[in-house]
Amino acid sequence: MAEATGSRSGTRRPNLLDRWLRRRTRLDLPLTLAYRRIFILPTRFGWMLGVLMGAMLIGSLNFNNNLGLLTTFIVAATAVNSMLLAFRNLDGLQLRHGKARPVHAGEPVEWRMAAINESARDRTGLQLDAGEAATGFDVPAESTREVSVRLPDRHRGWHRPGRLRIQTTQPLGLFRAWSWIEPTSPFLVWPKPASGPPPLPEGGDDRQGQRSQALEEGEDFHSLREWREGDPLHRIAWKASQRHQTLLSRQFRRERSREVFLSLERAPGRDLEERISIVTAWILRAEQDKRPWILEIGAKRLGPDISERHKHECLRALAEL
Amino acid sequence: MSRPAAQLPLGPVAWTVAAFLVAALPHLVAMPPVLGVVVFALCGWRLLVARQGWRLPSGWLRLLLTIAAIALLAVSYGGLWGRRAATGMLCLMLAAKMMELSRLRDLRMVASVSLFLIASQFLFDERFVFLAYLFGGVLLALGALLRIQELDVSRRSEPRGDVALLRHSAVLLVSALPLALALWVTFPRLAEPLWGLPDEVMDGKTGLSDSMSPGSIANLFADDSPAFRAEFADEPPPPSQRYWRGPVLWRFDGDTWERAFLPSRTEAPRVPPGRNDYRYTVQLEPHERRWLFALDYPVSMPADARLSLDFQMTRRNPVTTLTEYSVRSNPDFTDMARLPVTLRQLAVSLPEDRNPRTREMASELRARFEDDRALIDHVLDWLRTEPFYYSLETAPLGRHSADEFLFDLRTGYCEYYASAFAVMMRAADIPARIVTGYQGGFWQEGGQYLLVRNSDAHAWVEVWLEGSGWTRVDPTAAVSPARIRSGARSVAGGGESLEWLRALRNRYDRLQHLWNSWVLGFDADRQQRMMTFFGLPNLSRTGMAILMAGIFGLVVLALAWAWLRQPARSRDPVRRAWLRLVRRMRRRGLGPGLGETPLAWAERVAHRLADGARFLELTRTYCALRYGDRGNEAERQRFIRAARKFPVQRAVEPRRAASV
Repeated sequence: MAEATGSRSGTRRPNLLDRWLRRRTRLDLPLTLAYRRIFILPTRFGWMLGVLMGAMLIGSLNFNNNLGLLTTFIVAATAVNSMLLAFRNLDGLQLRHGKARPVHAGEPVEWRMAAINESARDRTGLQLDAGEAATGFDVPAESTREVSVRLPDRHRGWHRPGRLRIQTTQPLGLFRAWSWIEPTSPFLVWPKPASGPPPLPEGGDDRQGQRSQALEEGEDFHSLREWREGDPLHRIAWKASQRHQTLLSRQFRRERSREVFLSLERAPGRDLEERISIVTAWILRAEQDKRPWILEIGAKRLGPDISERHKHECLRALAEL
Repeated sequence: MSRPAAQLPLGPVAWTVAAFLVAALPHLVAMPPVLGVVVFALCGWRLLVARQGWRLPSGWLRLLLTIAAIALLAVSYGGLWGRRAATGMLCLMLAAKMMELSRLRDLRMVASVSLFLIASQFLFDERFVFLAYLFGGVLLALGALLRIQELDVSRRSEPRGDVALLRHSAVLLVSALPLALALWVTFPRLAEPLWGLPDEVMDGKTGLSDSMSPGSIANLFADDSPAFRAEFADEPPPPSQRYWRGPVLWRFDGDTWERAFLPSRTEAPRVPPGRNDYRYTVQLEPHERRWLFALDYPVSMPADARLSLDFQMTRRNPVTTLTEYSVRSNPDFTDMARLPVTLRQLAVSLPEDRNPRTREMASELRARFEDDRALIDHVLDWLRTEPFYYSLETAPLGRHSADEFLFDLRTGYCEYYASAFAVMMRAADIPARIVTGYQGGFWQEGGQYLLVRNSDAHAWVEVWLEGSGWTRVDPTAAVSPARIRSGARSVAGGGESLEWLRALRNRYDRLQHLWNSWVLGFDADRQQRMMTFFGLPNLSRTGMAILMAGIFGLVVLALAWAWLRQPARSRDPVRRAWLRLVRRMRRRGLGPGLGETPLAWAERVAHRLADGARFLELTRTYCALRYGDRGNEAERQRFIRAARKFPVQRAVEPRRAASV
């Protein structure tokens, strides 16, 4: 199993912060946002207003301008209230069920979770921030909302979403209140399918070679070929034979006969990654063509099967390599 | 978070523009009209852009227009110096910002600088009525910030209506008041300003100036705004003694009276306290000059004021905000029993080539009267008996101003009389100087204070007499006793029909007086007195700061409690009943785990309850009512009753009993 990446890809935060955060709180879902988990700092706009307030304060103080001071203090008090309200917007919010559907590497990961608001107040203007992408959401009073956010592309394997941030700058955009979450339940990223894979290997498995070489009788019409001795009469395509001035007989094939054998070792490709991605593409092709496939990885053999579950098992096996 | 220009929707832009315009309105009124037009045009244009989805102008055009606007400002103000020019500049820059209002940041910037504009308006005017401006402006600016915030977070729900925003903004404003007031009362005030202001003429209004030429006070008479208010510890002086002394003018060049260096730079002698002293407190409206007004002769005065030899009281810094000071005056003091030669020379000098007729009359009188007092009485008598008129509507004077006034025009007001009289005195070799200030005032019976308006501005003469020193002589009183008895209003016209209006204004002024005393006059000194009242005398600045921090902390705690306490009962009575039941269960240690659904919880704890089956049943009903179809009213009521009556009792747990 691939090592689950703990921190956000790209910028690694200083370990000190990580350690402190972990010691301070549990970051795994499910959790309820509360006092110890919620951090608050002014936003850039908040700092700007702070500087402006400083100027107002000094000016009013200098001229002992009492109405100027009152204005300044009203703004300051509003800022304090806005800090409390930002905190309140997160306080008591419950987060659960963090998960993501498996996708192929290179495709966006939609990570989702449930946000539950048990209080009788609406929570508006929340944001789930995954670094590169963020999703805004509201949770009305006494209701539950599912939130999803796009995680950055990942390599194949098991991953954790890393550290995500629930944040809000309500009501005035002066303060940002946020909570870190670091869900531990992993999600799977399948290998990326090769873009121009070679055609599906026909045959290759000795044990089954005979079977796949010879066309098997079936119910599904496949093609016409020149009549050979031994072809039964009812197989002759009379109308077509008349057009082509030669005897043609109809060929039938059975689905079962189109089973493919996919072996990681024998797949073309310079290295393991390329072989994995070719095999992944084959699996998808086989599924598309509705042909059962067998996947062989080392000594492990999966299938033959064509079910969704089989596909997931195969892709997972490839992803975990 | 930055959006392209065209996409800023009309709503937030309109809010921001409205907040800015309301904040800028008093500034715009005080500005030259052309600048106001520029500001309004830019704002209107920006609204159109948002409405029609036009493109914003290119950088060059913006720069050009901004420079043009600033040039216009510089030309209208004759430079970019001074407070009015500075706030005008701020208004113009914000209006120019409208041209590049393309991102959320810009909107927020304009909305927050609007708050700054509101605060800066109070440097010019902090009358009671401006409280409405403060609240209105802050309300709109907060509304604008709320509206911008809705744009910032990508919300799925529709933006709120304007009324809802306004209501939200009002809630924010009202909830800011407790903390704001606590800070306002406790924030340590500066006893001394950190920096002063350059002298600056106020908004075209002129207070008393430090020079006088006949005709210059005239515009003050039309100005009915209060100059100051005075409260007396005992009885106020009679109207004829209410001479509020301002600048004292010595030097006369034929046209203009001006202050002289020597007497205004020398310290005054100490005035001993007397028996008939007046003790009073003056609330001086800002007039941008350094001098303070007092009755003759100040015994004690505020610490930051000094008294010059000619008893002008001046302060180190110009009076730019409402200033309160207390004075004790001794009216019986003799100013300068002996007149030094230098001062005598200063007080009798006249330009040689002016006013020949006045000089001639003076020398005649000098020959007739040996005694200065007799001469003065004669001149006053002459003014009284000859056809002199007191009127504000008069003609300007030419080169021989005293001659023209005394012998030809004979119509004028205090400046004309004072100037001509002083010239006559000096021509007769009697030392004379002109004192400007205020005379009279309206005694507010209801408020127990004397209201002195700018229209009470006055000029009179002081002559130096052997034995009594500098003595006040008011030639205007000789001509128009009514002016002195009942104030400038009685002679300046104004119909009787406006009596009720005047009464209303006087009543409003009483309100303004209270406002001044309790709000505007609240300074370091008054703060100190308040602390003494609360039993904290001699609190240092640091002590005050600690006290403030403490009170700040307490109020924030109270606010936090008010904001964060469990609210907000659920709107659904079924849910309320359920939550009550959950609370009762929790008290018994059987509360639900985090993220546990009601049913899972009920199944988990049912066996530990005495009546687990009923609890399960109750939970199922709850889930059905809340998450399924909502059921009819009777079912809901039944559930509520059942939940309330449900006895939360633990079952007897043999396992636990065994383990003990």
